[in-house]
Amino acid sequence: MQTILVVDDELGAIEVVATVLEDEGFRVLSAANGRHGLEKLAEGPVDLAVIDFMMPLVDGAALGREMRAHPAYKNIPIIMMSAVGESVVRERFDGYTAFLRKPFRISALIDTVRRILA
Amino acid sequence: MTKPDDPVPPLARLASGISGLDEILRGGFLEGGVYILQGSPGAGKTVLANEICFRHAAKGGRAAYVTLLAEMHTRLLQHLRPMAFFDESVIPRSLYYVSAFHTLEGDGLKGLVDVLRREIKGQKADLLVVDGLVAAQESAPSDREFKKFINELQAHASASGCTVLLLTSGLLRQVSAEHTMVDGVFELEDQLFEFRTERSLIVRKFRGSGFLRGRHSFRISDDGVKFFPRVEAVFASASRPDTLSDAKISIGIPGIDKMLLGGLPAATTTGLIGPSGIGKTTVGLHFLSQASAAEPGLLFGFYETPARLCLKARHLGLDVGDAVDRGDVELLWQPQRENVLDELAHRLIGAVRRRRVKRLFIDGLGGFLESATSPQRVSRFFSCLTNELRALGATTIFTMEVPEITGPVVRVPSSGVSALLENLVFLRFVERGSILNRLISVHKVRDSGHDPSLREFYITDRGLHVGEAFAGVEGVTTGVAREPASAAASTPPANPGV
Repeated sequence: MQTILVVDDELGAIEVVATVLEDEGFRVLSAANGRHGLEKLAEGPVDLAVIDFMMPLVDGAALGREMRAHPAYKNIPIIMMSAVGESVVRERFDGYTAFLRKPFRISALIDTVRRILA
Repeated sequence: MTKPDDPVPPLARLASGISGLDEILRGGFLEGGVYILQGSPGAGKTVLANEICFRHAAKGGRAAYVTLLAEMHTRLLQHLRPMAFFDESVIPRSLYYVSAFHTLEGDGLKGLVDVLRREIKGQKADLLVVDGLVAAQESAPSDREFKKFINELQAHASASGCTVLLLTSGLLRQVSAEHTMVDGVFELEDQLFEFRTERSLIVRKFRGSGFLRGRHSFRISDDGVKFFPRVEAVFASASRPDTLSDAKISIGIPGIDKMLLGGLPAATTTGLIGPSGIGKTTVGLHFLSQASAAEPGLLFGFYETPARLCLKARHLGLDVGDAVDRGDVELLWQPQRENVLDELAHRLIGAVRRRRVKRLFIDGLGGFLESATSPQRVSRFFSCLTNELRALGATTIFTMEVPEITGPVVRVPSSGVSALLENLVFLRFVERGSILNRLISVHKVRDSGHDPSLREFYITDRGLHVGEAFAGVEGVTTGVAREPASAAASTPPANPGV
């Protein structure tokens, strides 16, 4: 079973994304900010990270940079999510694999995840 | 280096940038202060706080917006997107949205303080909004712990010079510890008045600064939040001293000017009282037709559109339309909708100030009265409004409609208001020999004599003309004139001759 890490400070967003991905047969780990996200990465292998851009303590851009700099996490694909436009996100971090503008349709999330993990 | 004897500088302000709010707060929030914005759901707290953040970011400031509720930022931003102040380009560089709901759930108030402190530091925020204080309160194991949280937040805010707005839907009437500890408490309400609602703000507490007390109306639209400081508070004393003058202002109708012994005293307020259809607006159009670059005119009206007024003036042989084109006259129409009394007053004062209006015709008082949700304040409201208009040098005519077309009783729309007006002119219909005649009379003029007679007047395609005194009949003030018993049985009505 493939494992997906979902990092978002909004509880509602985590619940929706996690439920959808679990229904699709993935194992989901969740974290409320970038710092917790790094802790979760250390717990075991992760196949994909779905990360929110704006979060407290360590934000999505900082988490993405840390992952790309870390030998164990640098190849994990990242889906960056944000309510702000992609150009704004790209200014801070452009090492993601795909971008989803919030709010997005569940089908868009599933399609993106399936495409990356195919 | 500061020496012991150096004067203490005044506390710096963080202007909200919200129309009218900084006027109420005499310049804005105090930097490093912690303020509670309180109100029931839908009162406008979130929109107000967000607009303050966006306006702060637009001026080069940095803000962090932290929610403690399980509310989606995505949804919040979607709701804000249509509003004029929304500017996505400031997110996240100058305005950062985060949720601390998880932190509060997992690490309690101690964890929350830590997140807020780090966000202030990490985002270099000089403005922090915490939306959902009630969640923090509910998660506090005791009142003592919650007080400690507020106290720690105050300490961090003060040390970093970051102004903090705490949003809560709790009821302010339950005065609690946080209300006594914070630097200010602002209560937002959305009150129901029979079928309509009106939003208002009351500043309950504002440490270290004066502020405009009482209830101030505000409106939320796609343009954002606009406050209308209560007229009685903001114009408690006129913005400039009253300049007394013996000058007279022509009303634009020779017959009425003659009755007024030369015209209306400059910078006074006149009530033009009469029933519907008698010719009040016609008098106003004459008054405005005399406007010039030196004496700009303004019609502030509720009943007729500018196009209709120009047409009406043309039918009277008056060139108000040309005066509008020249910029000598402005026609400011206020559609009859759910107007806010103070909003109307600020729009009026703003228009008078903008063009230094000297001839002001307000058509009419009823438009203001219908907007008043509290009849008790009408007299004081008009007292302050007319004081300011005088101070601005505007010679003002208010139309005041009476319900009776004819009759012995003249019911003035608001007797409290008429007492505030320096000059009163009555227009009335009088039936005489199955014909409705129009009569004009001057009842008072400030510091001036006047012609006390009742005179007939006529409205033709050459405007309004005043005729002779309505003599030779009696019972005029009953609305039905009778020939004196001694007079001839049938005297035909006077021919207007125009």
